Amino acid sequence: MRKPDHRPEVKAPPRWIFPEPAHWWLDNGLQVLAFHRPGQHIAAVSLVLDNPLSTEPGDIEGVATITQRCLDEGTATHSGPTFAERLEDIGAVLSGSAGYAASDLLLEVPASRLSEALPLLAEAISEPELRASDVERHQSLRLAEIDHTMANSSNRAQVAFRQAVIPGRFRASRLAGGTAATVAAITAEDVVAYHARHYRPEGATLVISGDLTNEVYHQAAAAFGGWSVPGTLSVHHQTPVSRTPHCWLIDRPGAVQADIRLGGFGIDRGDPRWADLQVATHALGGAFLSRLNRVLREEKGFTYGVHLVNSPMRDGGLLAVSGSFRTGVVTEALDLARTLLAVTGKPITTQEVRDAVNYTNGIAPLRYSTAQGVTERVASLVAAGLSAEFVNSNAVALTRVTPESATQAIGELLPPDALTLVVVGDAAALRDPLVAAGWPVTLKP
Amino acid sequence: MAPSDQLNYPIHQRTLDNGLRVVVSPDHSVPMVAVNLWYDVGSRDERPGEHGWAHLFEHLMFSGSDHVATGEHLNLLQSLGGAVNATTWFDRTNYFETLPVGALELALWMEADRLASLPAHLDEASVDTQREVVKEEKRQRYDNVPYGDAMQQLVRLVFGPDHPYGHTTIGSMADLDTATAERAANFFRNHYRPDNAVLTLVGDVSAKDGFKRAERAFGHLPAWNRRQRPPITSLPPLQGVPVLQVTARVPAAATWFAWRLPPRDTPEFDACELAMVALGGGQTSRLHQQLVRNLGVAAGAGASAVPLVGGNSFGLVQLRALPGADAGAAIEAALIEVERLVTDGPTAAELARAKAQYAREWLSELASLDSRADMISAYTTLHSDPERINRRLAEVEAVTLDQVAAACAAYLQPGQRAQLDYQQEVGDAQA
Repeated sequence: MRKPDHRPEVKAPPRWIFPEPAHWWLDNGLQVLAFHRPGQHIAAVSLVLDNPLSTEPGDIEGVATITQRCLDEGTATHSGPTFAERLEDIGAVLSGSAGYAASDLLLEVPASRLSEALPLLAEAISEPELRASDVERHQSLRLAEIDHTMANSSNRAQVAFRQAVIPGRFRASRLAGGTAATVAAITAEDVVAYHARHYRPEGATLVISGDLTNEVYHQAAAAFGGWSVPGTLSVHHQTPVSRTPHCWLIDRPGAVQADIRLGGFGIDRGDPRWADLQVATHALGGAFLSRLNRVLREEKGFTYGVHLVNSPMRDGGLLAVSGSFRTGVVTEALDLARTLLAVTGKPITTQEVRDAVNYTNGIAPLRYSTAQGVTERVASLVAAGLSAEFVNSNAVALTRVTPESATQAIGELLPPDALTLVVVGDAAALRDPLVAAGWPVTLKP
Repeated sequence: MAPSDQLNYPIHQRTLDNGLRVVVSPDHSVPMVAVNLWYDVGSRDERPGEHGWAHLFEHLMFSGSDHVATGEHLNLLQSLGGAVNATTWFDRTNYFETLPVGALELALWMEADRLASLPAHLDEASVDTQREVVKEEKRQRYDNVPYGDAMQQLVRLVFGPDHPYGHTTIGSMADLDTATAERAANFFRNHYRPDNAVLTLVGDVSAKDGFKRAERAFGHLPAWNRRQRPPITSLPPLQGVPVLQVTARVPAAATWFAWRLPPRDTPEFDACELAMVALGGGQTSRLHQQLVRNLGVAAGAGASAVPLVGGNSFGLVQLRALPGADAGAAIEAALIEVERLVTDGPTAAELARAKAQYAREWLSELASLDSRADMISAYTTLHSDPERINRRLAEVEAVTLDQVAAACAAYLQPGQRAQLDYQQEVGDAQA
């Protein structure tokens, strides 16, 4: 057979549109979004609560996390471990987290058992037992978890970067699950009170995806219609701002690599520059041959991979070069990174814009092809105060990005002379070279 | 309706004249297609002195071929809307891209180009750079992470250093150092051949069209004689409880138990896997209930089975101590639970629950085009039977209580385990 030497032509992908969900409200104020995905045997359900972590009393930060973790330890209807047994009997798994903007619960279950699973999710949020022994156990497990988080170089860098970029008066500057001191101060009464005050149907959203039937309207109402909480609550979301730049070095004696975060305070999806930033981020540190990864990985072999990571919050965001480098090349890698981030002399090109838009819009159908994919992404949009419609409007916004707009956005957000740096590594080997190379690091405990 | 009754993914198979096995599974739900290639070579095929080569050479597959420049494969397909990567495991090396269907032909052409011509384009410079990248990967994912060497230690304890499964894919710095362009080229010539590969297409493509495109891209490549592996023997369960104690900078003491199990996707392995779910597979499992919830002697306790095809798989229990405590109480309590399981077997309710959890995880694996394609490649490469993805749940549902009890007694005795203990370095231990 003849060898095909000619590179095949690529046909442009058809325009793909994220399908509109069925969208309604229950009488108690709970919003419901249902996405029918034919052929998806797993149903994914998320319940997003409008309870930002700024609602936690300052001396017991972590109480939202402990509350969320105790929900599946028993309910009024299924006491103690019988609740988890009932969930697992039908092949369901329940997870979740208390995030800065919202707490969410995620339920995954074979679609054929959805009608049995929804009432269990409703039990967990509306009538958990929240026993003192469960609270104490989760408190102790959370304290152990903090030790593990801080022992991990990459996690430690992430925690420090958040603290370095966001002023301490904002909840988003600190660990979502609370610190050792605040977690230790949480009592069972605190957890019961937090649940009673902040787990409410008004302002909450239920997202259901999978191979659904028309029964879903009835199923949602039957499971959640009876959920009611007296009174009303007005929820305030904080709007963090940026700190002035810092350079921090955190010691991990003997570490063979250093974790780097280099960047600053970013923007959220509601900012008019959001699409511009997505494109610029992809070009500088998203694609395999991005400006950063091409040089630092593929040419220099300094790292397994370096990325410019764009992490939007509900208000504002974090924007940082993120990577792990062997100790001996850290200063050279940082100097190269700072140079590569400077776009004024080397603007984002037409080709880079085209590649970034094609990539982001091209893989969207894959990301939204499963029930889990749809539910998790829509839940995160809802938690950020947006609707599912954002998916389509952002796809259009991306097509309007120009090299100039992308260059301007990243130039504004990451000025190379005003970056915050966090290095987690072997301070004895790193401190002097960093200072000599123009990174005036402060040693942080 | 049992979950297994629902599964009916279409499977169309064909073998090209050069031995390349092609499987097409149409799914028109989104206008994309998953291209998934398994090469039947993994870390188990590395000889002593070559540990880490299969994975290092996976990186070199992106370094350019006759018509494709260095890094272009990944970058170009990304820029067309593709999710692209490759991974190496004990039993295989896989390469995959999921992209808009209009780019399918290009993706196949690029895959065929590197299969046909990669060895001729290897040079020492690209080997040197990717060696550094892989060493950074080893530092980032294993050496600089608490307990990061646990899997390396465990497989060595369970299988011995010279066994094909006695080392992990990342290998050793010393062996990575001895790789050269010539050695890489020989490795590719031995293992990267149409008759040692499976190509799976899942997505918005018909069977006829998929086969036609596969033939057009790969059909011209010459056939080799299929490589024969040395005969594989199954090792019997361990005796005498080998123990390794490691002192390291870790946030808490931790212990693993590990067992030799039967090879994957046999009734005996399935029985062992279901037993591991009952023992430590979730919140209702015995280890979590007893160690974490009732006794409060562990910060975490779980169990899992790692399926492998070459004579044995292995099974694990992981115990994490509470801050400042040693793992002694957790180990003692866990051994009581293991003993209780091998003596009495699981209850009917536990087995039903374990099967329900298995079913959800299986259906989740098949939910997306890309991971479904990977499963099809797996069952074609390892079991010569891609249709089995539709039957697996029925196989697992058919496992009986007696089979699980028998498998526990045969393979999961406390005396058949190996044990790995991490203790905190003095100075790191904080009460």
